[in-house]
Amino acid sequence: MRFILFILITLGIVVFLNPLFPYWVIMLLIGVGSGLLGLSGFQGFVAGGLGMGLAWLGQAIFISTSTGSSLPNKIGELMGLGSGMTVVGVTAIIGLLLGGFSGLTGSLFRNLFRKEPDNLYRG
Amino acid sequence: MKYFGFIVALAITIALGIAVSKPLGPVPPLAPLLDPNHGFWQNSFSEDELANDELRLTGLSAPVTVVYDENLIPHIFAENEEDLYRAQGYVTAKHRLWQMEFQTMAAAGRISEIVGPVALELDRMTRRKGLGYGAELGQKYLEENDPETLRLAEAYTAGVNEYIDQLSPGQVPVEYKILNYRPEHWSVYKSLLLLKYMSDMLVGDRDLEYSNLRKILGSEMLDKLYPDFPLENDPIIEATKIWDFTPLAISKPDSIPYPDDILVIDPLPQPEKGTGSNNWAVSGSKTKNGNPILANDPHLSLNLPSLWYAMQLTTPNHSVKGATLPGALGVISGFNQNIAWGVTNATKDARDWYKITFQDNSRKAYKYGNEWRPSNFRIEEIKIKGEESYLDTVVYTHYGPVVYDRTFRSDRQDVNFALKWTVHEGSNEQLTFISMNKAKNFTDYNIALDSYAAPAQNFVFASKVGDIAMRIQGKFPLKWKEQGKFFMDGADPRMEWQGFIPNEQNASTLNPERGFVSSANQHPVDPSYPYYVFDNSYEHYRNRRLNQQLTEKEGITVEDMKALQFDDYYLHAKEALPVMIALLGTEFDSDPAAKKYLDELKSWDFFADPNQKAPTLFYIWWEKTYDNVWEKWSKFGAPVVSPNNYQTVLLLTNSPQDEFFDSELTPTKESAADHVKKGFKEFLIKMQEWEANEGDYSWANYKKTSIQHLVPQFASFSAKNIYTGGGRGMLNATSERSGASWRMVVEMGDEISAFGIYPGGQSGNPGSKFYSNFIPIWANGEYLNFNLRSKEQSEGVLFQTILK
Repeated sequence: MRFILFILITLGIVVFLNPLFPYWVIMLLIGVGSGLLGLSGFQGFVAGGLGMGLAWLGQAIFISTSTGSSLPNKIGELMGLGSGMTVVGVTAIIGLLLGGFSGLTGSLFRNLFRKEPDNLYRG
Repeated sequence: MKYFGFIVALAITIALGIAVSKPLGPVPPLAPLLDPNHGFWQNSFSEDELANDELRLTGLSAPVTVVYDENLIPHIFAENEEDLYRAQGYVTAKHRLWQMEFQTMAAAGRISEIVGPVALELDRMTRRKGLGYGAELGQKYLEENDPETLRLAEAYTAGVNEYIDQLSPGQVPVEYKILNYRPEHWSVYKSLLLLKYMSDMLVGDRDLEYSNLRKILGSEMLDKLYPDFPLENDPIIEATKIWDFTPLAISKPDSIPYPDDILVIDPLPQPEKGTGSNNWAVSGSKTKNGNPILANDPHLSLNLPSLWYAMQLTTPNHSVKGATLPGALGVISGFNQNIAWGVTNATKDARDWYKITFQDNSRKAYKYGNEWRPSNFRIEEIKIKGEESYLDTVVYTHYGPVVYDRTFRSDRQDVNFALKWTVHEGSNEQLTFISMNKAKNFTDYNIALDSYAAPAQNFVFASKVGDIAMRIQGKFPLKWKEQGKFFMDGADPRMEWQGFIPNEQNASTLNPERGFVSSANQHPVDPSYPYYVFDNSYEHYRNRRLNQQLTEKEGITVEDMKALQFDDYYLHAKEALPVMIALLGTEFDSDPAAKKYLDELKSWDFFADPNQKAPTLFYIWWEKTYDNVWEKWSKFGAPVVSPNNYQTVLLLTNSPQDEFFDSELTPTKESAADHVKKGFKEFLIKMQEWEANEGDYSWANYKKTSIQHLVPQFASFSAKNIYTGGGRGMLNATSERSGASWRMVVEMGDEISAFGIYPGGQSGNPGSKFYSNFIPIWANGEYLNFNLRSKEQSEGVLFQTILK
C-alpha cells in the first residue's frame, strides 16, 4: 500500500514541483519522502524510480504529442540516438535512475535509525 | 552492514546526480537537457502556444501593442521612438536571443568561450582585424557626438536585457542548453559590433594576391588579364551620367617603391564567393500602374536562424516595415508610408595593407618618414572554455592593427603588415537606419545616408511621389590610380590615404532618363568618374542581364519584378558554351556518353531551373576548363587570384592561340582548344562518377542548396537539399551555400503594396513551427504579403501582446 502511495507521491512531486525546481531538488525530495514513509530499500528504489521515470516519460510524450514539434527528432539525430522516440526512452531512463537511487538512499538512511527488533529468536 | 549499504547508495546517487549535470566530452549535460520541465522539451512549444496577452516591460512611457500576423511577424505600435526601440529589443530577443548573442560573440572573437580551444585561431583572427576596436570607436563617437542615437540604442539594450532577466529556465533557447552556457547582458557596444560584423562579412581585398601577381606577371600582363574596367562595362550609375562637380586633387608620388618580396603568407579569409545582391527601382513611366516599384534581394550565406527578422515598427509619426538585423535598431531594408529603400554591397577595396618597419624587436616604434613613431599595444584576452585564457598582443600603428606578425600566421619573422580599414574609424551607421526609417522623401534619404561609412552599400530608393534614385554610399578614401591595389610601404608617408571622397561626390543618380536604377555589385561607374575605382570582385553577369531586362520591359507589374528576382538565366553559360563547343570540335562525336551530354547542352535554353540537367553539365565542364587554363598559376608557389570567368571567356573567344594558353609545363604548345578538350575529358570522368554514385544530375540535385544552422555541427537544425534553381552569376543567385537571403518588392502607390520573403522563419527556435516555414515558399519564388498593418486591423492576427 505504502509502495503504491509512494509512486503516486513521487509522481505528484515531479508534476507539481519539478516545473519550479531543478532535478536535483526533486531527487532530494524523493529521498526524504522515501525515508519518511519507511519503505524498504528495494521498494524505495522501485517506487521512486517508477514515479520519476513515469512522470518524465508522461511529460515527454505529452509535450511531444501536444506540440507535434520536430525537436525531439532533431535532438535525437544530434545526439546520435536516432529518432525522437529514443530520446523519450532515454529521458524516462534518466528519470528512473535518478528517482530510483534517490528513493533507495532515502530508505536506507531511514533504516540506519530503525531499532533492531529485540524479540526475535536467534537460536 | 547497513551503514555500508547506505553509504554506497548515497555515493551512487550523488555520483549519478553529478554525472548527469556535467558534459561528457561533446555530450551536453544530460539531466538539464532532458528534464521535461526545463530541458529541450520545453523548446517544443511554438510561440503562439506560449502567447501572453500582457508582458511587463519597465521603462516604457506608455503601453506598447505588439500584433503578430499569422507568420509571427511582429507589428509594434508605440507612442514614441524610445518606447519603439525598447520594444524592438525586447521582441527581437524573445525570438532570436541565441542568434543575436552568438553573432556578436563571433564578431568579438569570443567563440572559444563557448566551444573551447578549437576556435582560438578564428578568435585571434577576428580580434587582429580589429572589429572590437572599431566598435569601441563607434561607441565613443556616439557618446561624444550623437546622444540621441545613444539614448535610443540604450533603450533597445534595456529591452533585450529585460527579456533576458525575465527568461525562465525552460524558455532558454535550446542552443544554450546544448552548448551548456547562458545568455549574458546585451549592450550598446554589441549592437555596434554587429554592424562591424556585417562589414567583415561583406568586405574583402586581394592586395596580397595582386602584389604577388604584379611581381610575377609584370604590370603590362596584369592590366591585360585583370583590367580595371571590363570590355562591356554596364555600371551601376548609368554610363551617360555627367559628373557636375570639381573633384578634389590627389597627388600621386613620382615613384612608388612597393615592398618587393614575393609573399607566401596566408591571405585573410574572403567573403564567400557568391555573396552579392541585386536591387533596382523602376519609375512610374515604365510600370503598368504608373507607380514606382522597388526590389531588393541581398545575397549572403544562407543560415538558420536567418540573418533577417521581419518587423513593422510604428509610432504616431511613422510606420516602417521590412527586414531587421537582430541586434541592430530599426529596419535595414524596407519601406514606410512615403519611401522604400534597399541595399546591395558596394565593395571598393576598403582595406589596404602597409608594411611596417619596426625599430627593433620590442616593436615599440616603427619607421615613418624620417622619424620613429611609437606603436600601441592592445592585449586581447581570449577566454577559452575549460582552459586558461589566451593573451594575444596586437600592435597598433596609426594605420591600424598589425594583423600578420611573428606570432600569427607567418613563417617569416620579418613579415609585419598593418591593416587600414574604414571600420576602424568612428562612424554612425546606426543613425542612417534610424533616420531612413522615418524618411519622407529624397532629401531625407540623402541626409540619412550622409552618416553612413561602412560597409559601403548601393542604396536604392523609390518614393510615393515618383522619385527613383541610387546612391553608392560609404566612406571612400581618396586614392591615386592603383593606390591600395598592392601592399604599400608604411614607412613612406606618401603612401597615406589623402582624405575621403566628399559625400556629395559619391556616385549617385536621381530619375535617370532610362527609367530605372539598378545595382548588382558590378563596377559602380563608367571610367569618366573622376576618382579611382577598383575591386577584384565586381560582377559581370547579373548586372547585364538585369539592365537588359529592365530596358526591354514596359508596363511593368509587381509580378514581373518578382519573376525577375527569381530569374535564373545563365548568361555566363550563354556566352561561354558556344565557344567551348566550337573549340571542342568533333573529337568526341563517336563517344555515346559524350554525345548524350553534348546533345543536352546544345538543346539547352540557358535557364538554370532546378529540374534542368544542362546547367550541371555546363558548370562542371566550365570548372574543369577554367582550372586547366589557369593551372600554371599554381606553380607560382604564392597566393594569387586567377582572372575571372568573364575575362577567361573573352580570352577563349578572341585569342584562342595566345601564348598564355601554353601551360609551359609540357613540351607541346597548348592553345585554348587543348584546355577545353582536357576539361571535357575530366568532365566525362566526373559525370561518370556522379551518375554511378548519385544517379540524377539535375541542377538542384547537383548543387544541393543547404541552409546551415550557425553551428554547422548541429546538422539536424539545418535545411538540406532544397529544391530550387539559380546559381552564382544569375539574378536568382542561389548556389550551394549562399543566395537571396531576403527578397522584397514594393510598389509605391497611394496604396503601398509590398511583398517579402526570406529563407528561414521568424522564430529562432528549431523546435518551433515558425523556424523554417518560409523556406518552401522562398524556394518556389513565392512571397508573403508585407503590406503595412494598422493596429486595429483584425484579420490574419496570430495573437497580440501588450507591453507595459
